[in-house]
Amino acid sequence: MAVSQDFKADLLAAIPSLRAFAMSLAQGGDKADDLVQETLVKAWDKHESFQMGTNLKAWLFTILRNEFYSQMRKRGREVQDSDGIMTGRLAVHPAQHGQLDLDDFRTALEQLPEDQREAIILIGASGFSYEEAAEICDCAVGTIKSRVSRARTRLQDILQISGEADFGPDAIASQVMGSSAA
Amino acid sequence: MTKKISAAQATTVRRPSTADPLGPNSEIGRKLKQYYDDLVSDEIPDRFASLLAQLEEARPAQKED
Repeated sequence: MAVSQDFKADLLAAIPSLRAFAMSLAQGGDKADDLVQETLVKAWDKHESFQMGTNLKAWLFTILRNEFYSQMRKRGREVQDSDGIMTGRLAVHPAQHGQLDLDDFRTALEQLPEDQREAIILIGASGFSYEEAAEICDCAVGTIKSRVSRARTRLQDILQISGEADFGPDAIASQVMGSSAA
Repeated sequence: MTKKISAAQATTVRRPSTADPLGPNSEIGRKLKQYYDDLVSDEIPDRFASLLAQLEEARPAQKED
């Protein structure tokens, strides 16, 4: 089966977000672009396995992510896990409240383990649902939720954000709400 | 009457979003989107368009002939 024009157009249209995801994962322009290139080639080869009408973006993100981890394994780089590697790498200056600089944020994001970084990017920036992100990352929805939550907590720690606007609907927030209402 | 309603509304607005911890009420959520939108709006290198053109040449798009 030949590759359809629509498929090519859809691939082209997906490149900006695919590349943004690659940049977030690979932390280097050249490596990210190589990832995107490899993803496009694979997608082209495998186009028959893509079901029209399903989420092309999610399918492409899955390919790119698999490629990223397989390259890391080939290079013998151990995939970071979520525990323990952060200590001593906290180089971000404390942010003024409400004045958080984008460079500081980028630096903080780079300090997250890959699994947390990809989770928070997919959910908080790429616009995927928890279910879609779980499929892309080949894990349970609950795992994505906990990674996002840990990523968010860690970013807050690194950036020293403790603004009231950043508290979720947790016990502390409700307490504060309750006492101010009383 | 009017005052009471607006006070109630103000309370509602101040309450942190219950649905989305990375939503617009979250500093992290906002920065994350800013960071990502920056990347998305980056100029795309020509190599990708030419790559797809090459792929298409090797395995052409559907032709009715």
